[in-house]
Amino acid sequence: MSKGWQLTLILCLLGLFALFYQGLWGDPRHIPTVLIETEAPNFEGPDVETGQTISLDQFKGKVVLLNFWASWCYECKVEHESILQLHQLFKDNPEFVMLGVNYQDELPDAQKYLKEYGSTFSHVRDLKGQLAIDYGVYGVPETFVIDQQGKIRHKWVGPITGEVYTNITQKVIAPLLKAQPTTTVTS
Amino acid sequence: MSIRLTWCLAALLTIPLPLFAAVQDETEVDIQVREIAKTLRCTVCQTENIWESGAPLAQQMRGVIRDRIALGHSTEEIRAYFLSRYGDYILMEPPKHGVNWLIWVAPFLLLLAGGFFLYKEVTHWVRDTPTPPSQPEPPLDDQARKRIERELES
Repeated sequence: MSKGWQLTLILCLLGLFALFYQGLWGDPRHIPTVLIETEAPNFEGPDVETGQTISLDQFKGKVVLLNFWASWCYECKVEHESILQLHQLFKDNPEFVMLGVNYQDELPDAQKYLKEYGSTFSHVRDLKGQLAIDYGVYGVPETFVIDQQGKIRHKWVGPITGEVYTNITQKVIAPLLKAQPTTTVTS
Repeated sequence: MSIRLTWCLAALLTIPLPLFAAVQDETEVDIQVREIAKTLRCTVCQTENIWESGAPLAQQMRGVIRDRIALGHSTEEIRAYFLSRYGDYILMEPPKHGVNWLIWVAPFLLLLAGGFFLYKEVTHWVRDTPTPPSQPEPPLDDQARKRIERELES
C-alpha cells in the first residue's frame, strides 16, 4: 500500500474515532433548538389550581420563565425545590413572571402534586398538547426564558439544579432584568 | 338437496371471516394525516414516525396535523410548522441541503473509495505475484501410451 493510501486510511479512521468520541462524551440532552431568538408562541389555558384562564399576552413586556412539568415526571420532583427557590429569588421584581405548564397530566394528579410539593406561582394546563408542540417540547422538565420583547432567549431540557440553576439565574435571567439577584444563589 | 345445502354451508365456513368485514373507508383527511405523520419523527421514541408511534406526544402531534388540515393548511405548511418548532430533527428524512448532503452522499463515496482501494490492491497483488516459468510437457512413456490406446479401443 502506498504512503498516500495509508495516510488517507489513517485520516478516515481518525475522523470516525472523533465522531464516536463526540457521541460518547457529548451531552445527550443537547438537542439544538431552532426557537432561540424567535417569538414565543402565545397560549392560553386554565390555571391548574383556580381554573381561571391564563394567557402569555397578559405578561407582555416582562421576563417570563416557562417551566414544563408533570406529576408523573421524576426529574420534575428533583428540580421542584430549585424552581421554588428561583421564584423566591426574583418574585419581587415586577418585571419577572414565572409560569408552570402542566404537560400530559390528569388534573387531580397535578393538583395533588402542587399541594404536596408546594407552589408559589401559577400553572397553566396544556390540555391538548398544542402548547408543548408550539414550544418544540420533547419531554419534561423543560424550561424557557422569554424576554421583555417576547422572544425566547433560553431553553433547557432537564432539571434546573446545580450549575444549571446558577447559569440560568446569573447568566440568563439576571442580565435580562438588568439587576443581580439579591440573595445568595444555591446549587 | 339438503346434502347440497350442507356442502354449500361447509364451503362458506372455509372462507376467512375478515372477507365479510365491512371496509372502513379512510377519508381524504385520514389519508393526508397518515401521509404527513409518516414523514415526521416521534421525538420521544427511537426511529419511529408519529404515525406508527403510540406515545402520547405522537398522538397529540397527529391531532395537531388533523386540526391544521381542517383549517385548510397544505401538507407543506404543516411540515413547515413542525420544522419551525423542532428543526430538522423532526423529519424522518434529513432535508437535502447544506451539510446534510454528506449524509446522503457519504455512503456512496465510501463505497466508491472502498471499491477503488480494492481494485488498486488487487492489481498490485497480481502485478507483484511472480509467474512460474513455462516448462515443456513431459513426453508420454510407453506404458502410458499403451494404456491410452487400450482405453480408446475398448
